Amino acid sequence: MLIGFVVNPVAGMGGAVGLKGTDGAVEEAKLRGAVPVSPGRARILLSLIVPGVHTFLTAGGPMGESLLAENGHPADVVYVPDGTETTGEDTRKACQVFTDRGCDLILFCGGDGTARDVFAVVGDTIPLLGVPSGVKMYSGIFAATPAAAADCVNRLEEAVMTDAEVMDIDESAYRDGRLAVTLTGIARSPALTGHLPSSKWATDAMHEGRAQAEIARFIIDIMRRDTLYLIGAGSTTAAVIQALGEDGTLLGIDAVFDGDIIARDLNEEGILHLLNRYPRVQAVVSPIGAQGFVLGRGTQQFSPAVVERIGPENFIVIATEAKLSRTPALYLDAGNPEISSKFPDSLQVICGYAMARRMPLIQ
Amino acid sequence: METKYILDENDLPRQWYNIQADLPVPLSPSYNPQTKEPIGPEDLAPIFASELIRQEVSTERYIDIPSEVRDILTLWRPSPLYRARRLEKLLKTPAKIFYKYEGVSPPGSHKPNTAIAQAYYNMKDGIERIATETGAGQWGSSLAFATQLFDMECKVYMVRGSYDQKPYRKMMMQCWGAECIASPSKETNAGRAMLEKDPDTSGSLGMAISEAVEDAASHANTNYSLGSVLNHVCLHQSVIGLETLEQLKMAGEETADVVIGCAGGGSNFAGLAFPFMRERIAGRMPDCQFIATEPSACPTLTKGLYAYDFGDVSGYTPIMQMYTLGHGFVPPSIHAGGLRYHGMAPLVSILHHEGLIDAVSCHQNEVFAAAVAFCRSEGIIVAPESAHAIKTVMDVAEECRRTGEEKTIVFNCSGHGHFDLSSYEAYFAGALPDYEYPADLIAASLKDLPKIQ
Ligand SMILES: Cc1ncc(COP(=O)(O)O)c(C=O)c1O
Repeated sequence: MLIGFVVNPVAGMGGAVGLKGTDGAVEEAKLRGAVPVSPGRARILLSLIVPGVHTFLTAGGPMGESLLAENGHPADVVYVPDGTETTGEDTRKACQVFTDRGCDLILFCGGDGTARDVFAVVGDTIPLLGVPSGVKMYSGIFAATPAAAADCVNRLEEAVMTDAEVMDIDESAYRDGRLAVTLTGIARSPALTGHLPSSKWATDAMHEGRAQAEIARFIIDIMRRDTLYLIGAGSTTAAVIQALGEDGTLLGIDAVFDGDIIARDLNEEGILHLLNRYPRVQAVVSPIGAQGFVLGRGTQQFSPAVVERIGPENFIVIATEAKLSRTPALYLDAGNPEISSKFPDSLQVICGYAMARRMPLIQ
Repeated sequence: METKYILDENDLPRQWYNIQADLPVPLSPSYNPQTKEPIGPEDLAPIFASELIRQEVSTERYIDIPSEVRDILTLWRPSPLYRARRLEKLLKTPAKIFYKYEGVSPPGSHKPNTAIAQAYYNMKDGIERIATETGAGQWGSSLAFATQLFDMECKVYMVRGSYDQKPYRKMMMQCWGAECIASPSKETNAGRAMLEKDPDTSGSLGMAISEAVEDAASHANTNYSLGSVLNHVCLHQSVIGLETLEQLKMAGEETADVVIGCAGGGSNFAGLAFPFMRERIAGRMPDCQFIATEPSACPTLTKGLYAYDFGDVSGYTPIMQMYTLGHGFVPPSIHAGGLRYHGMAPLVSILHHEGLIDAVSCHQNEVFAAAVAFCRSEGIIVAPESAHAIKTVMDVAEECRRTGEEKTIVFNCSGHGHFDLSSYEAYFAGALPDYEYPADLIAASLKDLPKIQ
């Protein structure tokens, strides 16, 4: 298969020197003595990829060319950055060429900032796989380790395509010690599932779509007419709304009562308002991002006040099996330790029609 | 100190025990899926042997085992009863644990006890070919073994998930001259319809039954055979419990306190438990407790409804009163393929409903942990189905350690796991998902799921 490979050579530099991110702070990081992280990660990855199986397109110099050559992978250099200091613009331009050349996969080394740059150009048209080498890796398109990414590339034929969230972190808030993570989009990313019937690359998108539809069919069958449902965010929850015959908000939270959408893309205030009017409520949520956060990353609308009002027992968690295979445990940050502690240490996750998995929940 | 109790070949029971003679309330009738009228022998005649139909409704307490069937059963019967002393030691329990080991049969489980009888009665009726389904492959290989002894052909529809996990089961069936294909298949109308609905389906026993029934109904001189659930299957399995009662006496035990078995369709559990139930109902073992163990992924007795439902996905089988999760329910592809069935034997169901049988469910990782503890103490690598029973045995034995009770626990070790090693491998690799049935959500929805027409 044709793989576009790009490295953000400065990703991860801020972390070691306490900058919590490298965006717009490369000079400062260098002054503080930071050394790049991503080339080392890329070397581990490339040394584990079996040569000669896939064809690589890449960007010049430190953005991929030299690392591929070093590890014995021939590649076509399709973009050359000008200037010595590479930027997000270079990543975006390289990805534009990968897209134009019809790559089957874009493999990149970087952090959430790089993921955002790649996604900005590619969207969900080409599957993405990130090798974690930045400071923050909340996006769901990252493999757990360079070795896991290499495994996935080597066995690409067996991989199942899953929806994966791309997250955006407010960098200046982060440097001030506040975590503000928003969901910016849904990309596609390959995952090895181990126990699922391996399906061919070409049919994978359908596979995941069918799995989401089965979950949606079940949720709709168990919905009560007297209960308000707060549903979102992500593609799995959006499939529930779609199964009701409506278009949901992919990146936000919608409210459903008696089979109809009564509010879209709610913010915290809007949710609290509805909670005053409807005594019975359940939230239908899906784990988000690389770690599988059920709450606390990308869905700020479910604020501590909202979560407390809904109550831990009224959260229905849904996720496809392929997605769960990427997230061996679920995480939770209700924004308030007291509320978080009211959640049990394992959760039932609906993964099919009348089918669930018990998953550990880590706070 | 004795470890195993072996009966002489002459002590192989001469009669099966039929619990229908002793039920506290009679079974409700089954209904014809098309006419919705109570079913009669003529409804079953197209796909079942006449003697099996008679046994299905018989209320005679004992039914003779034909000598040709007994002859074949002596190839491995009477099967041994073991005292699990090493497991007791491991658990530091004062309880006495006994297990009846059915894995000594040529196919490796209790299933040939009924396969031989069913093949024999079909041969007597002049049938030349039998179609059936199999979950884990234990039943398919048992019927393959049995049919060739009577020069019959055998076609097995094997649940896709197991077919992929256990290629050696298919080869065993080939050794015994049977043809085994993955279900849903493209060879039947039912299979094609299921594949159209979900081309990636891992299949289920309910789907494979539909295919086998259709095959039998549409081929000349072909009958259908079911490896569990039905009354005559529970009848044939009663040799297990009848032998065990004798063997316990050899061990100096007059009664058992707890009788445990895994339950898929209910036949191995019934086979061990029903002769003990006879004793309990007659007041000779008034305190004997019965526990059936099921997977959390398919908790028919623990979370299902006691209702009328079909035995298969497509609605070809009679409508029976039993515990069910709904015939449309496709259980997740757990490794105990033989326990992936939406329904339960009507005989086990009625006794559970009457409060005489308890049921528990467990997740697959804890089940495999129990299986590993068992093989590292007793040596036998058990089938994932049987491991469910062991999990409950260990729970009961550990409770005895806390209370100091010296209970006598008897369980059915229904089969070996030599063709299930890839499941053990997945367990060791940490790759087994803990599936469960979302019963609370379903109950809270107030909808009548399972939907039963
Ligand atoms: C070894 C073993 N035990 C138990 C079962 C479950 O069936 P039943 O409940 O009818 O005994 C099976 C079914 O395939 C099996 O192979």
